[in-house]
Amino acid sequence: MACRMQISRHSRWRRAFDGFGLPPRFLTLALLGLPGLASAAYNFNFPEPVTPIARETLHIHNEFMLIITILFVVVFAIMIYSMIKHRKSVGHQPARFSGPKGATQWFWALIPFAILLFIDFVLMGIPAVKAIINMEDTQTRADMVLKVTGMQWKWQYEYPEAGVKFISTLSTPRDQISNAEAKGEHYLLEVDKPVVLPVGKKVRILLTSTDVIHTWWVPQFGVKRDAIPGFLRETWVLIEKPGTYRGQCAELCGKDHGFMPVVVHAVPEPEYLAWLEAQKAEATAAAGGADRAWSSEELMTEGKAVYEKVCAACHQPDGKGLPPAFPGLAGSKIVNGPLLDMNGKVIKDSHVDRVMHGKAGTAMQAFSASLSDVELAAVITYERNSFGNSKGDMIQPAQIKALR
Amino acid sequence: MNAEPTPSAFSDDDLRRRRAAARRLGWLLAAFVLGLYLIGLLIKR
Amino acid sequence: MSIATTHPGGHAAEPYQGGLRRWLTTTNHKDIGTMYMMFSLIMFFVGGLMILAVRAELFQPGLQLMKPEFFNQLIGIHALVMIFAALMPAATGFANWMIPLMIGAPDMALPRLNNWGFWLLPPAAILLTLPFTLALFGIGDGALATGWTFYAPLSVQGGMGVDFAILAVHILGISSIMGSINIIVTIFNMRAPGMTMMKLPLFAWGWLITAFLLIATLPVLAGAVTMLLTDRHFGTHFFDAAGGGDPILFQHLFWFFGHPEVYILLLPVWGLMPHVLATFSRKPTYGYKAQVYSFIAIGLLSVVVWAHHFFTAGMPVPALIYFMFSTMAISLPLAVLFFCWIATMWKGAMSFETPMLFAIGFIVLFGIAGLTGLILADVAADAQYHHSYFVVAHFHYALFAGGIMGVMTGVYYWLPKWTGHMYCEKLGKLHFWLTVFSFNLTFIPQFFLGLAGMPRRIPDYALQFAEFNAISTVGAFILGLSQLIFAWNIWITVRGGKKAEGRVWESAEGLEWELSSPPPHHSWETQPVIK
Repeated sequence: MACRMQISRHSRWRRAFDGFGLPPRFLTLALLGLPGLASAAYNFNFPEPVTPIARETLHIHNEFMLIITILFVVVFAIMIYSMIKHRKSVGHQPARFSGPKGATQWFWALIPFAILLFIDFVLMGIPAVKAIINMEDTQTRADMVLKVTGMQWKWQYEYPEAGVKFISTLSTPRDQISNAEAKGEHYLLEVDKPVVLPVGKKVRILLTSTDVIHTWWVPQFGVKRDAIPGFLRETWVLIEKPGTYRGQCAELCGKDHGFMPVVVHAVPEPEYLAWLEAQKAEATAAAGGADRAWSSEELMTEGKAVYEKVCAACHQPDGKGLPPAFPGLAGSKIVNGPLLDMNGKVIKDSHVDRVMHGKAGTAMQAFSASLSDVELAAVITYERNSFGNSKGDMIQPAQIKALR
Repeated sequence: MNAEPTPSAFSDDDLRRRRAAARRLGWLLAAFVLGLYLIGLLIKR
Repeated sequence: MSIATTHPGGHAAEPYQGGLRRWLTTTNHKDIGTMYMMFSLIMFFVGGLMILAVRAELFQPGLQLMKPEFFNQLIGIHALVMIFAALMPAATGFANWMIPLMIGAPDMALPRLNNWGFWLLPPAAILLTLPFTLALFGIGDGALATGWTFYAPLSVQGGMGVDFAILAVHILGISSIMGSINIIVTIFNMRAPGMTMMKLPLFAWGWLITAFLLIATLPVLAGAVTMLLTDRHFGTHFFDAAGGGDPILFQHLFWFFGHPEVYILLLPVWGLMPHVLATFSRKPTYGYKAQVYSFIAIGLLSVVVWAHHFFTAGMPVPALIYFMFSTMAISLPLAVLFFCWIATMWKGAMSFETPMLFAIGFIVLFGIAGLTGLILADVAADAQYHHSYFVVAHFHYALFAGGIMGVMTGVYYWLPKWTGHMYCEKLGKLHFWLTVFSFNLTFIPQFFLGLAGMPRRIPDYALQFAEFNAISTVGAFILGLSQLIFAWNIWITVRGGKKAEGRVWESAEGLEWELSSPPPHHSWETQPVIK
């Protein structure tokens, strides 16, 4: 895999340079005079496109780069010629004109603008309009739907037709980020559970968010779209080549904005269907789990896993939080408050209420939408019995189910 | 454009008139700004 | 005539005051202009230090120096400081110093308003940066951490730094509106006899359009951040879908201000360029009328293109196409300006003193900003550029090479007029070449980073972006350090140096050069007549 990436990167350069006409890599190195950097990985253009949109975008980009490079060279060649010829030190006598005179001069003065008008609205404008219409056409012959939900700071993926949904979070160890251990090959661009999509199918992607605005971006798909809380936005991809494609959240969304990557596994359709079946089976098993009684050990083990995946980014692994924005859970009044009222209902602003329904106007979101009954019960139980909290009580998945 | 200082001075009257006009226009622009602000504030979809 | 009539503050007959009281109570346009320029220079370094900390963090992958929360605060406050406290005051400082001199007025029309406009700035700057200090003492969680754009709902959930920034933006806005009103009424009412609008120096024209844009758009920004404030504290739901609001409404309101803001920062510079180019080409300005009409066209177009700042937010196809084509249309008046600048140089007798070098550097580098802006307008390609380092590089070509280098052009051009001393030409040239070299070293790699897929505003990045980031950081530090030469050059010029003549530059034209250098405390006690 790594080897193939390497090769494709090389050919990527070559394609990029075809558009430019001059090798910027060489220029950069010459500028620095640091031949030692020659072995490092430089990318001078978009990564290899794997969807029709990305290919079109790369094509448009190369074409535009060529156009503006020509404009730049021509305009400034004229200026530099003038700077060399019309200087005081070579004894040039200044002319006195202050505008075009006569039909010929007006003609030549207006020509550049006619050319620019043509470039803007014809040369660049027409392909752009075509590309936009293609890009926004999310519905024609769409084979399937993927729903993407941005959350601080993870992505949730849902396959509405199959009833499968899961959360995908950064899997790079914290020690790598704090430089305590060597960084892996896909540092910051790796997740615990990548989203899997079939190759050669038009996937309509619906986007939304539970808290702030996020932006879903995979450079090789040529697709970037905001996920806006309370609204649906859409885009589409048709991946042409199996592989692993990596991207990131592109809209500043709070403290861990840099740590919510997107990883997509594109696989042939049979493989995709098999994967989907496995996910369904897992989901059924998990849903079944909600109906049985769980022991406190089971809940604590599951709860720790959920906590570290979902909660620890804000409330910290040790439960101390990052006050004032992210309050600590250790010794917290809310966490150490009563679990449910006498009738087994949720008490307003209690621990269960916070976890299930969030707190408006803060980063604390309503997890009832994204976590399963088991996960909710487990994480609530875990929080009440960790970080020095010792309530000793527990809540069953079945209770959560009833509370929804 | 050529310019040269002349011995004639800004007369008191002239200056006073110009400043009064400037003040009037200034208040007018301020009212415009306030109006825009209120529209911006009260805008509803 | 008596002196009192020429001095609007009404206390010109009082003995000359020195010390703090002079600066606090001054109504003299030159004193206020000087204060604006000094304030701008100080804030330029404050904002610069912030971004150097950011670049240091980005030197290598991994988190070395700071937490992501602090990183987010630095990038946002850097932008707000540079835009509102460095670039805008510098332009207002130019206007205060030069417009009365250029149009033959004894002072600004509303001098007390002028004083007030300046003295609102320092408290606003303190409000903007105070949360950093408060956080050190455990109060609050630091400054605005949403980037300078305040996007809701991130800014709704932010800490008290957001409230501080909202208040600061209000005060800065009031200051700018007062400055703008003053400039408009000064230009309309205080011109010397014979100075018709079509004889008005281009610098004044550029500022006139800027002033109109400011009073047309700042109230909208003020409204937007007030709505944000009420969303945060008074339970309204302007930007909250759960209450019937829309987060994208904020983006529309913000960029209705934000895009004209770009031209607000640049128009005074575009107005200044023809003066410098004509002086050092020893040739009249080419296409005066064309430039005036271009200013007006750009001003009008700038308020109808805002949505190209959030193409990825999703909007109907006709809206995408409209905003794309209207944005591209700006390239035409802008091309007129480029054409006129180069035509002014054409067949002149050029010499390359520091202001001319900066002017040429401005034209070339701002050309890159304009051309990359043209392709950014394309919705299809924008999907790839947007929110990436490509955009960061693009707007730094516009606002550093376009804005700040433009301001430096003006400073070198007019500093002898202000101080009565020539600046050090050698240091000026050194400053120019170091700035141009390190600026490109900083931002060319960022174009490639953006193309390769690095998003903006991330405190840490994947390994494939490491080399370009390292180069960019090296460039940024050289860029930062070379600005010390600029400050030093200004300092020694203020303190002494070769005496400058009234005309300073051999073929400089315009009323401002008819006065001595430095001009008398009360300029144009005798009224000039324009022929």
